[in-house]
Amino acid sequence: MAIPEGMRDVVPPESGDQRALEDALLARFRAYGYGHVVTPWLEYAETFAAAGDETLADGYRLFDRQGHQLVTRTDMTVPVARLAATRFDDEPLPLRFCYVAPSIRPWAPQRSQDGEFVQAGAELLGLGSAGADAESVTLLCDCLAATGLRDFRVALGSVAFYGALVDSLGLEEDDRETFLTALADRDYPLMESVAGNAGVDQRALGVLWKVLELSGSRDGLGQARKLATTEAMDAAIRRMVEVRDLVEEAGFADVVTFDFGMYPDLSYYSGVIFEAYAPGVGLPIATGGRYDGLLARFAWDIPGVGFALALDRLLDAMAEAGVAPPGAPPVLAFSGGLEEPARAAELRRAGRAVATLPEGAAAAPPCLRREGGRYVYVAADGTSEAGGWRDMRRALGLE
Amino acid sequence: MRLGLSCPDGRPPQEVVDLLCTAGLCGRFDGHTAPALVEEPAPACHVWLLASAADVVGACERGALDAGVAGKDALLESEPAVHELLDLRAARDALVYAARTHPGARSRRARPRVATRYVRVTRAFFAAAGEQADVLAFDAPLLAVRLGLADGVVELRGRLDGAAAADLTERAEVAACSARLVCGRAARTLAGPALEDLVERLRAQLEEA
Repeated sequence: MAIPEGMRDVVPPESGDQRALEDALLARFRAYGYGHVVTPWLEYAETFAAAGDETLADGYRLFDRQGHQLVTRTDMTVPVARLAATRFDDEPLPLRFCYVAPSIRPWAPQRSQDGEFVQAGAELLGLGSAGADAESVTLLCDCLAATGLRDFRVALGSVAFYGALVDSLGLEEDDRETFLTALADRDYPLMESVAGNAGVDQRALGVLWKVLELSGSRDGLGQARKLATTEAMDAAIRRMVEVRDLVEEAGFADVVTFDFGMYPDLSYYSGVIFEAYAPGVGLPIATGGRYDGLLARFAWDIPGVGFALALDRLLDAMAEAGVAPPGAPPVLAFSGGLEEPARAAELRRAGRAVATLPEGAAAAPPCLRREGGRYVYVAADGTSEAGGWRDMRRALGLE
Repeated sequence: MRLGLSCPDGRPPQEVVDLLCTAGLCGRFDGHTAPALVEEPAPACHVWLLASAADVVGACERGALDAGVAGKDALLESEPAVHELLDLRAARDALVYAARTHPGARSRRARPRVATRYVRVTRAFFAAAGEQADVLAFDAPLLAVRLGLADGVVELRGRLDGAAAADLTERAEVAACSARLVCGRAARTLAGPALEDLVERLRAQLEEA
């Protein structure tokens, strides 16, 4: 029996790696005071429609018995915003929520993403400051460092900068919308055509093309400052610098770069945005940013900032870097353990993961075999040791 | 720098190779043909992937290459999640719509049947022009016309010469095309300075030329 296109089963050892990774990330979220929330995987269709983003509104639809239109969640930030606005609106601010949960989007082969994908994310609600942006980026860096990755980078961009830049083109509302859609798709010919038809000032357009080229560069910031033609653009750059400086103060120097050509995949972002990358993975392993205005759509106008890590891409990056998921204990196969539950229990109490088998059953290393009254331990690297139980305890590092 | 070069005819266009060589990126190029993975082709370049435009762009998208050179025609068709860094002004051509000069009786239909390797571009072109067309995906579109499957093609102008295209007349230019330097989203962040150096070197070469 097949499963729907774009869906997949996750089986050991990958499932074990994923769970260990989830636990490690949740521990980092807890260390910053974020409370774990669980939301339903079905929401009313109007909840996602309220976010005003085509991708998010495009979930699989179902109907309940009363005829309400339901949608599978396509993202976790929107449900968390809905949850906060409807259940926490009399609580003191700020609020800190985190989650590890799957979302589902109609699958398309070119999207390079499974139909169902698990994200681990953290949302900080009620603070609009650069300090809050920086906490979100710092927590992201902390999570990535906790996985053992070393060569990751976080690129910082700004929707506010782009908004001001596009404003400077003086486009009519319809053209502006088309232009922004083309910008999100990196469809430069369409942008040229919209700007050309609208008679946009060539100098302003020239500034835009130059800005699009500024990425991760040593002098990109200086160039962006030179290109900034309005106070709003200046303010956006100042904010990005402030966030970068605060993240560096928190201990993550040389991790944050600027990318003035970055444009978010989702439309609810309103200020600083960021994407994390690691070698060997072409798409971001995490995305996030400020989304002031999203909660107002649920009748509670407070600012918010947050991010989500894509666990499948993160596991790919860790595999590429040769990093094992933190705390994932190798399972020790114990042939004869079924007949000796006390020995197996002793190993588990000592922190070993043990899968018991009947005596005589074959097992791949690392494994422990009972052979009569004696034991043989074969380590993961193939080296072996034989002896009594005491020798085994020593071989397994329990003494 | 890990670089990919699309090879529409088994080899990268000579103009592109010349440009990269003068920019110091292909000192040991000795006429490899696609598909090939060339190790250490130059001191500044760790690896060259010689492959189709789709493979080069796909490898850029997935982070296996820092940059790639691919034709604008392929970029327009596949809409990959890559950034276009530079127009290399090489391998210049244009996607054009060409239709039969003397349509036969069978072709007197309200909407033309157009064979093409560029289905998405063709659909968008006719939609933008407010015309309806029956778009047929065909790797050898000129043969589709000769077989009577299509009344016209959307194809690169450079591929429209020869006997197979004798009965076709160019009706409109769909898009100007040339070789473009592209990079994936991850490379913008992870290889930013190296990419900027590359763009600056290539831009200097182009300006000199």
